[in-house]
Amino acid sequence: MSTETCRNKLRHLLVAVDESENSQRTVAYLIELFGGLADACITLLTIIPEPLEDFFPTVAEGEAWLKEREALMRTTLADYQQRLRDSGFQEAQVDTRIIVRACNSIANAILEEREKLGCRIVVVGRRGVSRNEEFIFGSTSSKILHEAKGCAVLVVE
Amino acid sequence: MTNAPGHFSAAALHEMVARHAGAAPVPERFKIIEDTSDFFKVEFGDVVVLGEQAFWMRGYTKEGRFGLDDEPKYWVRRAIDLADGSAKILKLVFHEQFEAQVGELSFTCFRSPKKEARILDLVAGHPNFMHGRWAEDTAGNVVRILEFIPGRRFDDILGELTKDHEEYFHHHFPGVLAQYIELVEAIKFLHDRGEKHGDIRRDHILFDRDRQVNRWIDFDYNYQHRESMFGLDLQGLGNILIYIVGHGDILVGDLHKNRRKIFDTLWGEDLSLAFKNRVANLQKVFPYIPDSLNRILLYFSRGTEMFYDSADQLLEDLAVARADLSAPTGSGSAT
Repeated sequence: MSTETCRNKLRHLLVAVDESENSQRTVAYLIELFGGLADACITLLTIIPEPLEDFFPTVAEGEAWLKEREALMRTTLADYQQRLRDSGFQEAQVDTRIIVRACNSIANAILEEREKLGCRIVVVGRRGVSRNEEFIFGSTSSKILHEAKGCAVLVVE
Repeated sequence: MTNAPGHFSAAALHEMVARHAGAAPVPERFKIIEDTSDFFKVEFGDVVVLGEQAFWMRGYTKEGRFGLDDEPKYWVRRAIDLADGSAKILKLVFHEQFEAQVGELSFTCFRSPKKEARILDLVAGHPNFMHGRWAEDTAGNVVRILEFIPGRRFDDILGELTKDHEEYFHHHFPGVLAQYIELVEAIKFLHDRGEKHGDIRRDHILFDRDRQVNRWIDFDYNYQHRESMFGLDLQGLGNILIYIVGHGDILVGDLHKNRRKIFDTLWGEDLSLAFKNRVANLQKVFPYIPDSLNRILLYFSRGTEMFYDSADQLLEDLAVARADLSAPTGSGSAT
């Protein structure tokens, strides 16, 4: 079984993570809650938004940043994957996915991936932001909570 | 005069400068610049050639932000378009990244010439934006060629109205609100097309005295937005609304000093989300502000639990507030 062909979509979790502390907490929580569950599948997903035009003075600098970011996320996801395996998940139960794309909303990108994979549970961490920060930047977990359809949403504080 | 670039001979450029110099002395020698990467080298009296266009450079413009009124912006230059002698502003490429501060929040902003060029194309013909075109120099720098707007800052004009707030509110504010709504609609025009202004501040609105219309300027700021692409723009619009309703910033310190009774009624939640020394719940200071208008202000206060997601939502509430304003008094002369 691979997560692509996970038969029990009800137990196919899409877990959106990055290298942050709240993602670490999210993975720890998953292990506590689902560790060793034989028919659960987990897809660890990272969205890397392409930098906006002109953010880097040259195209080469932008490409170098993306490369570095992808490498960091590959290492991070491999570490999370290993932790999940150490807790009793089989190799085929956990896979990883890194999406690099132009992106106006990370929440929408996560929900698009959920749709593609047919997962029935989305798991995200919540960072806890000030009101001002939420006004200006918004909150990925709040947006997923508001906009997700056809799935359960688990927000890990 | 040195080297003659592709499209123009040096003699032709000299003749064009002489034709459009007006009362200004025509220099015998000037640099002809096709690569503007080092904008410090572009000096008063030089000619910048961008493909088939040529510009005679004049002085710097100045940055009017945060009291730095005399800070020259070396990359933003006044110029004479040698095609027709018209005044232009040339914005050269300045790759700047800096930490912007909104209240206690700081984040990385950067200047994006390409974003500004894109928006110039988008708003060509829209009355509420500055207009201009853009061209690449030989090094690929996106130089923006802006039309000069004859006029003054929107907030400077506002500041000259009566000093009595109640008189301002009943006689002038309905007109000011109508202008503000037009400006919000212009921002909605951008958002609907997937662009953010990026630096919405009251000193980025000029009142064009020829066209008798307010115009947004300066679209080159950008930042790596997260979940809410337009949050910063919306908060900027809120800050301007608080300013025009209060007819200036209503500062906590001033109330403490001069209007102690009102100061004693204030809570932290009454203050602006972006600037904690400014009052957002202005009904506490000016009780004749209708509820429908004050409710909008509260969305920009520290006490708010909800935020505007779009300019549409703000416009809907503004329409209600505007109707409420005109209903009881019928007053409303524009500025």
